[in-house]
Amino acid sequence: MSWYTLPGSVPWLTLSLVIPLAGALLVALTPGEVRRVVKQLGVLSAVVTLVLVLAIIGGFQHGVGNLHLQFEESLRWIPSLGISYHLGVDGLSLFLLGLNALLFLIAIVIVDPQMPRLKQFILLLLILEAATAGILLSLDLVLFYVFWEAMLVPLYFLIGVWGEGRRVYAAFKFLIYTVIGSFAMLIAILAVAAINFSATGQLSFDWTVLVQHPAAGIWHLPAGLGTVGIQQLLFIGFGLAFAIKMPIFPLHTWLPPAYTSSPIPVVIVFAGLVSKLGAYGFLRFNLALFPDAAHSLGGLLAVLATIGILYGAFMALVQTDLKRLVAYASMSHLGFIGLGIFAGNLLGIEGALVQMINHGVIIAALFLVVGMIERRAGTRLRAELRGLGATAPLFAALFLVISLAALGLPGLNGFVGEFLIMLGAWASFIPMAVGAGIGVILAAWYVLRFYQGSTQEAPPQPAGFGELRLADVGILTPLLALMVLIGVSPGFFPAAVDATVKALPVLLR
Amino acid sequence: MTINLSGIGIDYGAILPELVVAGTAIVVLFLELVVPPDRRRWLAAVTVIGLVGALVATIPLWGQNRSAFGDTVIADSLAAFFNVLLIVITILTVAISPRYLQALDLDYGEYYILILGATAGMMLLAAATSLMTIFLGIELLSISLYVLSGFARTALRSQESALKYLLLGGFATGFLLYGMALIYGATGSTTLRGIAAFTAAVSSNAGGNVLLLLGIGFLSVGLAFKASAAPFHMWTPDVYEGAPSIVTTFMSVATKSAAFAAIGRVFIATFPSISSRWYFPLALIAIFSLFIGNLVAITQDNIKRMLAYSGIAHAGYILLGILPGTAQGFSATLFYVASYSVMNFGAFAVVTAVAAGGEQTADLSHWRGLFYRRPFLATVMTIFMISLAGIPPTVGFFAKLFVFQALVSAQIWAPLIVAVIMTIVSFYYYLRVIVVMLAAPDEAVVEKRPLGIPTSTVLGATALATLVLGIFPAVVLDWATRAASLHF
Repeated sequence: MSWYTLPGSVPWLTLSLVIPLAGALLVALTPGEVRRVVKQLGVLSAVVTLVLVLAIIGGFQHGVGNLHLQFEESLRWIPSLGISYHLGVDGLSLFLLGLNALLFLIAIVIVDPQMPRLKQFILLLLILEAATAGILLSLDLVLFYVFWEAMLVPLYFLIGVWGEGRRVYAAFKFLIYTVIGSFAMLIAILAVAAINFSATGQLSFDWTVLVQHPAAGIWHLPAGLGTVGIQQLLFIGFGLAFAIKMPIFPLHTWLPPAYTSSPIPVVIVFAGLVSKLGAYGFLRFNLALFPDAAHSLGGLLAVLATIGILYGAFMALVQTDLKRLVAYASMSHLGFIGLGIFAGNLLGIEGALVQMINHGVIIAALFLVVGMIERRAGTRLRAELRGLGATAPLFAALFLVISLAALGLPGLNGFVGEFLIMLGAWASFIPMAVGAGIGVILAAWYVLRFYQGSTQEAPPQPAGFGELRLADVGILTPLLALMVLIGVSPGFFPAAVDATVKALPVLLR
Repeated sequence: MTINLSGIGIDYGAILPELVVAGTAIVVLFLELVVPPDRRRWLAAVTVIGLVGALVATIPLWGQNRSAFGDTVIADSLAAFFNVLLIVITILTVAISPRYLQALDLDYGEYYILILGATAGMMLLAAATSLMTIFLGIELLSISLYVLSGFARTALRSQESALKYLLLGGFATGFLLYGMALIYGATGSTTLRGIAAFTAAVSSNAGGNVLLLLGIGFLSVGLAFKASAAPFHMWTPDVYEGAPSIVTTFMSVATKSAAFAAIGRVFIATFPSISSRWYFPLALIAIFSLFIGNLVAITQDNIKRMLAYSGIAHAGYILLGILPGTAQGFSATLFYVASYSVMNFGAFAVVTAVAAGGEQTADLSHWRGLFYRRPFLATVMTIFMISLAGIPPTVGFFAKLFVFQALVSAQIWAPLIVAVIMTIVSFYYYLRVIVVMLAAPDEAVVEKRPLGIPTSTVLGATALATLVLGIFPAVVLDWATRAASLHF
């Protein structure tokens, strides 16, 4: 099913990478003093990208195509090593691509035009958008890795230069963690290709080739230390990179300083999108290329994901800084996504995919709210905020909807994903499902305390908290609309990704 | 009495590029006598013209396999590959030289003659297929560089640098020569072809041939010294720091490239039959270089010393490509040498340009806020640092990828794991430079000298090459593969 057919002769996916980069080039060529033009160019490129991505989503035909991939583009890149420029989109990446374009548009729209070094900020955001889109679209492992690493540099600068507090420390810690994971993945990528070469005689880094021949066999450790399954080893190599990015407990310690130091536009894409790329990586590579290892290691990872749900929730409960609170809430929600993925069944994975979109929408909205509070009240400390709803009823109303979505109220989007994930987890690991249930209760606690503490109670503090302006409402509207739409039509996303998920090797074994 | 020269294969065409470079040196030597002191830029122009001529003379050598002068030199794709690389490095160096030399009041004509002499030596080394010509090339490049290191003759540090290089270099040459003598004693031949034939014949019992193994060991010491691989790297930080920045720029990339040409010819082409004998010591040298280079670079506050240790680390990565002893590994080595040349030349050229602009460069703290004083220089420096760290989309990433791929294919795990861990370590000191450049600037106002067209062109072109080759590496990889495959 699809609403229309896009002409096949246009490289749609390449365009969605090129437009942000072209925007970045235009911004680079604009003198930094004309701040309005710089920002408008940034917004324009993000809008065009979003329109293009929406056109791709509309033209995507579900359940069609080789491995359900569509809009495939393949060019020889480094032929002697079997590396190609191979892009494609399927149910795993389609909606994340949309989320990517939406969140970057919001991030660029809310950039303060008077901020220092505005031009470089917008430039880096646009480069980051191209890199994250590239991660979602790459079907060649080396190409994927290039985008994965290329994402690092803009993020590092966005935090390290424009951040707050101990920004250089935060950026550096994030960088070192990520790089350790990346190199583990790089070695695993090279090993996957080498193993495939010795098995089939074809040197290829192409996902569509590798997915058909999962690696097999065992590796004898030196000095008679026993044996390890090669799939398990490769799974860990890839998994380390993705687990750090998500992050999965106990690899999360870079997250609180990084999220807290990031400026609001950056944290929206960072928490809203970049963390999901880790989850996406697990689905695209770990579950597809190493299905046996996914089964044997899934239990362990599900335990870690559940610990992450509870740990994040408890940490969110004790935070006094709202930005840190949302940061830990994000980690807790990411635990749900992890649990769904490692449950390794249809419901869990579909739930995880839905929840990835939900989480992106909800966390972005929550960070926007934190940013609005901070800009108006001059503080983000829970203890110094009270009764904001008295002077800003509209703000309080919209914030309530976001809060309810975040705690998983039926009828809004958060419920759909969490419910599917818990169904999936129940089928695989009952204790984890129970743990996740406790996490939902904790979420209600910290979210409602956040909402009630800041918008209700008297006397208002600080007095005269400003009401939302039209622009603020405009920014929140698409996110709120998505929360309601996904909430009232819970079947849409699972149906849309069904074909792709059912074809995942992990479900076929 | 006449000496019969027929039959030894006199073929001036095979060494035409070297002849052109050496001839240019002689022309510049005489021109210097007549050119007035304020017109010394002309010497740079003549030098560049001569080098372009050598580049043109190199083109016909690509794809050939011409042994000449009694098997002492060869004109093949490998030699052509290095000729192009070395000549381009030299052209870029000469292009940015006048501004630096004038700023530091070092503008003498000998400079160009010595640079050309060093280049001729390096090209000869890359084409050498006999122990004699290897020695000749190394001495020609070394003696030129000894003088160049001390070219800032009034600066104590420069003198110290030259003396240190001379003494330690002389010592290394002793090892090299002794190794050559032993190899000749063991095999009865000075040409690599003869040595290879002898070694292949006795390879089953090579362990018993102590003379040969000792000779290879000593030869490796001499070559590792020129490549500044640990533990023969001690001279590198001091010489790089003391020598004029422009000289450091030149020798940090050109000398290393030429040394690896010779290492490739010796280990991969001459001693493939006993690769199990040299694998372990060479792996040890590579691992040492990776450890010492990367770990000590962290502690350096002087940017030239930091880049010196980074160069030692890169020597380790480049050596990793030799370890598998395969065509794939050697082509990865060649690709790495080329990409290292581009990015490291760029990094040192930025140091040179900042120094020539009248700024202090020695300590990293002098680089604070460079992004605000000199946005162009800081931006290109960022690109070079990212590339040296091996982050895509830069050529440094593919250099590491190809080497790692060769190691994985050959199932060489221990050095690979060391290399990966040390790469993560290296992020710290490369990115620190960027962070420092981004830090809030000091109040001190520095008089700015304009960059000038040649310098900005060279820097822009190298930065662009770093990025473009980081997106389209296939062409250079293809050249490297063809240059590497002749031996197999």
